[in-house]
Formats: sequence, structure tokens, C-alpha cells
Amino acid sequence: MNRKLMMTCVALVVALALGVTAAIAGTVRGGSDPGITDNSILLGGTAPLTGPASQYASVARGAEAYFKYLNATKGGINGRKITYKYADDAYNPAQSVPVTRQLVEQDKVFAIFNSLGTAHNVAVRPYLNAMKVPQLFVASGATTWGRDYAQYPYTIGFQPSYQAEGWVYGKYLSRTAPGAKVAVLFQNDDYGKDLLGGLKRGLQRSKVKVIAAQPYEVTSPDVASQIAKLKASGADTLAIFATPTFAIQAFQFANKLGWKPKHVINNAVASASTSMQIASSAGQNKLVNGTISIQFLKDPTDPKWKNDPAMKLYRTIMKKFAPSANVADPLHVYGMAAAWTASDALKKAGKDLTRESLRKTLDTFTATGNPFMLPGIAVKTAGKDHYPVEQMLLQKWQNNSWNSFGGLWGYRAS
Amino acid sequence: MAAFFQQVVSGLASGGIYGALALAIVLIHRATGVINFAQGEMAMFSTYIAWTLTTNHGFSYWPAFAVTLLVSFLGGVGIHRAVIRPVERGPQIRVVIITIGLLLLLNGLAFWIWSGEVRAVPSPFPAGTIDIGGVAISWSDIGTIAVCLTSVLVLSAFFRFTKVGLAMRAAAVNPSEARLVGVRVSSMLGLGWGLAAMLGAIAGMLTAPNVFLDPNMMQAVLIYAFAAALLGGIDSPIGAVVGGLILGVGLNLLGTYVDFVGSDLKLPAALLVILGVLLLRPAGLFGKTVVKKV
Amino acid sequence: MSRATIRTLAAFATLAVVVAALPAFVNDFRAQQFAYVGVYLVALTGLNILTGYTGQISLGHGAFMAIGGYTTSILMIDHGVKDVATIPFALVVAGVAGVLFGLPAARLSGLYLALATFGIALATPALIKKFEGFTGGGAGVNLFGTPELTASLTPVRFLGLELNFNNWLYYLCWTVALVGYVVAWLILRGRTGRAFRAVRDSETAAVSSGISLTRTKVLAFGISAAYAGAAGSLFAITTTFVNPDTFPVTLSIFLLVGVVVSGLGSLKGLVAGAIFIQFMPLWSQHVSKSPGAPAVVYGTVLILLILVLPGGASGLIARLQHLTRR
Repeated sequence: MNRKLMMTCVALVVALALGVTAAIAGTVRGGSDPGITDNSILLGGTAPLTGPASQYASVARGAEAYFKYLNATKGGINGRKITYKYADDAYNPAQSVPVTRQLVEQDKVFAIFNSLGTAHNVAVRPYLNAMKVPQLFVASGATTWGRDYAQYPYTIGFQPSYQAEGWVYGKYLSRTAPGAKVAVLFQNDDYGKDLLGGLKRGLQRSKVKVIAAQPYEVTSPDVASQIAKLKASGADTLAIFATPTFAIQAFQFANKLGWKPKHVINNAVASASTSMQIASSAGQNKLVNGTISIQFLKDPTDPKWKNDPAMKLYRTIMKKFAPSANVADPLHVYGMAAAWTASDALKKAGKDLTRESLRKTLDTFTATGNPFMLPGIAVKTAGKDHYPVEQMLLQKWQNNSWNSFGGLWGYRAS
Repeated sequence: MAAFFQQVVSGLASGGIYGALALAIVLIHRATGVINFAQGEMAMFSTYIAWTLTTNHGFSYWPAFAVTLLVSFLGGVGIHRAVIRPVERGPQIRVVIITIGLLLLLNGLAFWIWSGEVRAVPSPFPAGTIDIGGVAISWSDIGTIAVCLTSVLVLSAFFRFTKVGLAMRAAAVNPSEARLVGVRVSSMLGLGWGLAAMLGAIAGMLTAPNVFLDPNMMQAVLIYAFAAALLGGIDSPIGAVVGGLILGVGLNLLGTYVDFVGSDLKLPAALLVILGVLLLRPAGLFGKTVVKKV
Repeated sequence: MSRATIRTLAAFATLAVVVAALPAFVNDFRAQQFAYVGVYLVALTGLNILTGYTGQISLGHGAFMAIGGYTTSILMIDHGVKDVATIPFALVVAGVAGVLFGLPAARLSGLYLALATFGIALATPALIKKFEGFTGGGAGVNLFGTPELTASLTPVRFLGLELNFNNWLYYLCWTVALVGYVVAWLILRGRTGRAFRAVRDSETAAVSSGISLTRTKVLAFGISAAYAGAAGSLFAITTTFVNPDTFPVTLSIFLLVGVVVSGLGSLKGLVAGAIFIQFMPLWSQHVSKSPGAPAVVYGTVLILLILVLPGGASGLIARLQHLTRR
């Protein structure tokens, strides 16, 4: 017994030693940055192509379509064609890590762009910053991208933070509905909690109070019980901070209970026109009418943009470069808006593009006129402010479409 | 008090859905002695068929319902024939893995064909609610529970009083002896899968108007349906439905009145309860304890 | 020493040599992917002891991996323990958890046990989230760049040699995997292994030959959970990040899939199972990226494998051996 064990161990040690010696190979890297040649730029990213969040893969598909369009019609950026290579992480951060490392180390991407999810990007952030690989326009509204800029200068977010969004709702309510009693349904993670935190912040020193807040888990089948509890609180305003399916359910269950809160707020992620139409079609839901949300992108189903050149372009691009995709899905517009800004930044970083020059460009950056965003919204960073998009419009759901009202709302973090 | 009863009503409605899917799980377990992990995805797939018939092919609700049941039945029989029958006599775990493969396959297929977008599915029940002492009860909730209970009764009668039902039971309990008395065992097992697929389709079509249809619709429901089946006894159709109702109501009350549980520990709490039940009464509340032959 | 033993040792030595030499032939990043194969091999070895040799189906081993992963992360971040030194702790903590779970679970059999363990897998992420003061909650714990992590971007000095990040992870994971493999082999060929197999083949016969069912099952649970704990620890070190979503229910399911693909009740095919878990999702994505298609490919391949190779990879190897020996 012992002899066998010893023999095995000896074999193991010898083999390992042999292999280790053989495996030592230098990994000296020199010259210009990886992923970039005179006529090409390689970007990488992770997206949930499979798993529970796979509908969000549309973001990556929209971005990819835009880059293809750019390559085909404008020859790319500064003569460099852009390839966007996105890989599946099944919405599991433990997958995002090896997939991102693969993109950086094997595919040698120039930068990571538009990877989706909060934890998924948090998981790779220290690595990317240590490698000095730009982590561009993270597709998540967590505040950490802007807040922790000093520690992670290669990382930059994109959309208005969830906190900013919640804050706008809070300000709006405190101005227009003094004395309102607010009930909140929120997803029990950083996303829902940030929105709730922002709302409370916006309500500070006002007569409006959050009197009930109910979390739900993404793993639960429905939110019926939560809505019943919120109704019982006696609130007259309902804020829904959820993903589309649960938001639609919330409308449905409130309607079923005969609950008619005066104001309903539905956060931006869940407020795509398609979701709203489904929510209102089921049982002629009157509750849906008059719902408030924010927006910073153009909605592809909004009749207002029917003749808008940018949205016409959007439809052409989708038809040509993503023919099997659903044009009505606003997540594609999100992807294109991010891709537009990325191309803009790459252009401004100049002919001698390096990772460092790109980081510096984004350090102090202003881009107006993103055609896929609502008019007047700028992508801007400067000094300590590293929240690229901080402006948004409020909109109201009326007559089966969103109608924006009032001026731009700006939020200042910190 | 109204709040309490509202939670009970909402729990019964959810519980009816868990029970309906649990019924399908019980049926397959009775027929073939395995747990079908793909049951939820089969139900989801059937619901998409109903949706596409009504939305894209101009069917009105009941014809679509009937066609969906038929297609689901054939699909269930087909699945049994193609992938379950070859491994039926081997170790259980292989069947489990096959059903996991089916789960992935059907979920992917639904994404592929119908995309991940959320869809509204029409409900067969009238839209309104009735108000009893401040407790709102919607017709669709009443309908859900009614359909669920009817299914149980029909199923029990089928097993007890029809020749085919008796043959199915015989085939499941003792295949070799059943074969001796002329029961076509394999067809009976296939029939079990077909019926389960049909019941699953009903569960899916009951679920969809409430929680809305997407390819992941039944995944959470499946877990609660497992729990319901275990609670009621995995071989008892009545147990499945009662287990579902108890689970639905119990979880709502637990989430509402026990602060530590809230809505974030509902699932672990449910699983703990079920583990307890399993240890005290392995056959569940309604199951018959089978004495192992030594 | 019998001829069979010599043959086994020779096969193992070949495996060790191949494993040791592999990084010389693949690029840097592949080495890291193969490091994950090592991680899964550790978990599969343990799960096969429970499911393959003792006949107890577990759909909850992802939960024991989570316990191991969190033990490592918390020890590193809160207590400044070096990563490699946390592996034994992870192993023990998960092993104890396995025994504690096994005590009641030993009374359940067959599919009841499968569902009970499935429940554990489902409940774990919610519990991790609930106790966020201890676990870091949904935001997770980031290990990259901490001084306790041996491997970062700078090469690791080991026995006077310099290893880069990926190769270091590779050798770490595979050393544990191969040691675990040998230990499993030793356990299974002795009296304990016979008891395991007796319980699997017939509980009645096992009892009549004086084997305690509860003790044997609990022991199998403990050992296999300890393996899963070590795997979880390596998983955390390799991924440098843990949060509740890094140990999803699908991990538990894929581990069971891996055991069946490698072949129940045999150690021969385990590497194939580990390779399946790591590379099958990547490969199915390679076939098609359109929505849903990867899952279709994965599901189809899995079903076909079970139908075509009922004995899994081990069965295939055994059949090939039979052919060559004639």
C-alpha cells in the first residue's frame, strides 16, 4: 500500500517538474498596443447570450450592427475597421472573468466595450485596470463606475446611474405631488436598491414619504403577494423598480386588486414601449395610462420618431446588419448609442490610437449630438465627474405611447 | 384582516398554478417512476404554441386550446418514444440527465423560434374582480383553481374507473406482471408522458396570463411545483394540488408576517419545510408509505 | 502488486505526465481554461464517490462549492490568509457541512434525495445574499490584486522557477486534482470503498453484512462535500471573484451532468467529464450565436451522449480496453 502510494507520488512530482520546466516561456510584449493595426481595431465584450437574462443580448447585437454599418459605409474610424467580438457569460460573473481574460489574452482585444451587468463588470474591473485595458461604457447603471474612477481610471460607465434616475423621480414627486404616500416594489439587488436609494434622496426634505417598500427575488415566479402588501399600506403612489416581466406583472396584479394609485412610476429598464403595450393590453389596464418614467434614448416604437433621420438610419442598419433581430426592441438602440459614442471617442483619440490615448480622451470628454439619444443630451466627463450621461427627460405614457414633457433633468453625483 | 385574506387569496391563486404543474410531475412519476426536470419547459413550449395559434394564425381561444392540448399530447408521447424509452430500464439518473438535456433544448428552442420578448397571452376567464369584504378576488384566480381541481377529479376518475387508466397504473407499479396479463407496458408509459404534457400545457396556459410568457416563464414555477409535489406526496394527484395550495398560501403568510423571512428567504424557508416533511413523512402528506420489501 | 494495479499506476503516471507537459504545448490562455478543467475534476471526483460509488444522487454540489469558495474568500479578505493556505480550511468546512447535511439526508433515497439536494442548491444563493455582512452580499468579494492572492500579473516564483499567472493557476489546480484523484482511488479500493459499493448495489444486502447505512452514506456525503469545497476554493482563486451568482443552480446541475458523462462508478472517465463541463458551453456557442442556439446544441449533444454512450466516457474506455486486450 505504502509503496504504491510512494510510487504514485514520485511519478507525480517528476511529471510536474518536467512540465513546469517545459512550460516556462517568456511572455514579453512590446511595441504598440494589442488589438490595433493600421486598418483595424478589435473590441471585445461579454453579453448574456444564454441564461436568464438573454434578452439583454440585444444590446451587444445593436452595437455590433452599428460597427458593421460604420465599416461598410465609412470605412471604420480613421481608416480602421472595427470588429466587435462579444462572447457569452450566461449572465454569470464567474463566466465573465475567464471570458474577459480570453478576450484580452487570447483574442488580444484593444479594449473591452459594453459588457453587460453590474457584478459581471465589477468582477473583471481590477484585472482590466491592472492590465491597463480600457473598460468602455459598461452596460450597467451602478454608481460605482463613476464613483470609483480614481481607483479604476480605465473603467467608464455610460447610462444615467440608477441612483440618478431614482432621484429624478423623487424630485418630480416632491414638486408635483406634495403629501403623496409612495409604495415601492424593487428588485432585491444593487439595481433595485440603487433606484430606491435615489428616490429617497430625491424626496429628502419634502412632504412626500416612502411608506412601504417590498423587495422581490428574480427567482420568484410572481410579485402578487408584494403588490397586495403594498396596496394594504394605503399608499397612493406606486413606484416599480423591476425588470420588464416583473414590471408588467406589477401592473397586472395592481389592476386585479382594484388598486388605482394616483401616480405610477416605472423605471427606464422596464419602460420599453413593448412592455408598456403588453401591460396595458392585458385586461385594458387603465393603471398604465399616466405612468411616469425617464428616458435618454429614442424609443424605436415611438411614432414621434417615425420620420426622424436617426431612427430611419437605425431601421436601415438593423435591416441590413441584423436582419433577424426585432427592430422594435429598444435595447438595440441602447447598443447603437453606446457604439456611436465609442466610435466618437476612438476618432477623437486620434490616428496614433493607444489604450492610454483613449483613456486620456475619455478623461475629459464631451460629445453632443448622439443621434440615438434624445435631443440635447450630452455625453460628458470632466475633472472628478465621471458619469458620462447624467441628463434625462421625464415622459408620460399616454395614448399608447411615451410623451416626454418638461426640460432636461440633470443630476450631479456626490 | 382584509390584508390577511388578500394574501390567502393571492396564495391560493399562485398555489393553483404550482398544483397544476405538480400534477403533471406526479403523473410522470406515477407512470414512469422518474422526475421530469423538463416538465416546466414542456409547459412553456406548449404555451407558446397556443400563443402563436391565437396571435399569428387567427385561432380563437378554445380551438387554440384544443389544438395545443393535442399537439402537447403528441409531443409528450414523441419525447417518450425518442429519448426516454431507450434509457427507461437503466439507472434513474440517466433519465434525469436526459430530462435536463430536454430542459436546455426546449428553452433554447423557444428562444430561437420566438425570441426572449415578453408576450401577453389571453385568458379564458373574464377580466374583472369580485370584492368580498375588501378582499379582491379575480375571476381568473377562481378559474385557475377550478381548472386545477377539475383536472384532479378527471385524472383520479381516469385512473380509477377506465380500463386504460388501470392498465397505466399496472404498467407503472409492476411492469413485468402487467406484461403477463397483456398490458402493452411501453405504450402505457408513453401515454403517461402524453397526458403529463397535456396537463403541463394546461398549467402553462393558466400561468401565462398572470405572469406573462417568456422562455423562462416556468423555471421558477417548476421549483415550487416540485416542492408542492413532495409536500403532497409525489404519487398522489390530490396531494399535488393540495400541496400546491398549502405552499402558495403558506409562503405568502410566511413572507408577510415573519419579518426575518420577508420575500428574500421565501424559497429557502419553503425548502426547509419540505425537507422537514420528507424526513417525518417521506411519502408526503397524502402519499401512501410503501413498505420496502426486504 | 497485481497486474491490474500496475496498469492503473501506469495509466495514472501517463496522465500526470500529459498534465504536467500540457502548458508547453498550448497558449497561455488555454492553460487557464485547463485550470478550470482541474477544478471541475476535483468536484467530479468527489461527486462520483457519492453518486457513482454510493448511489446517492446529488443535485446540490454547487452549494458545497459555494461554501468552499466563500471560506477561501472570507479567510483571504477578512483574515489575511494566503490563498493556497485556505484550501484545507475550505475542504474541512465544506466536509463538515456535508456531514451535517448528510445526517438527515441519509434517510432519503433516490429521487427524494435528488430533490432535497436540489433544494440546497436553490437556497444557497439566497442565503449568501441574506447574510451580506458576512459574505459581502450581491456585490460579491473581489480577490484580484489583494496581497493574499499568489497569482496576479507578475510571475510567481515557485521552487526557484518563474511561472506566469495562468500557468501557476493551472499547476495549482491540477496538483490538487491529481492528489485528490489518488486519494479517491485509495479510499475506493479499500474497505470504505467496498462499503460504498455495497450500499449502492443493495441496501438490504449491505445491512445484512453489517454495514451501517447511515454511517456509510454520511461518510460519502462528507468526503464528496470536502472535494466540492476544495474545488470551490480553487474556483474562487482562479476566478478571483465570488458572489451569489457565481454558484448558480446550473453549476450543481452541470456537475451531475459531468459525472454521468464521465461514467458512474469509475474514475477512468472523469477527465472527460471535466472537459465536457468546461468546453461544451464554449463549443456550443461556437456552432451558433443566435439567441437560444447554444442551449439547443448543448441539450442535443447531452441527450445523444447519454443515448449513445450509456456508460459515459468510462464505459467507452472500458470497451476500448476490452477490444485492445483481445
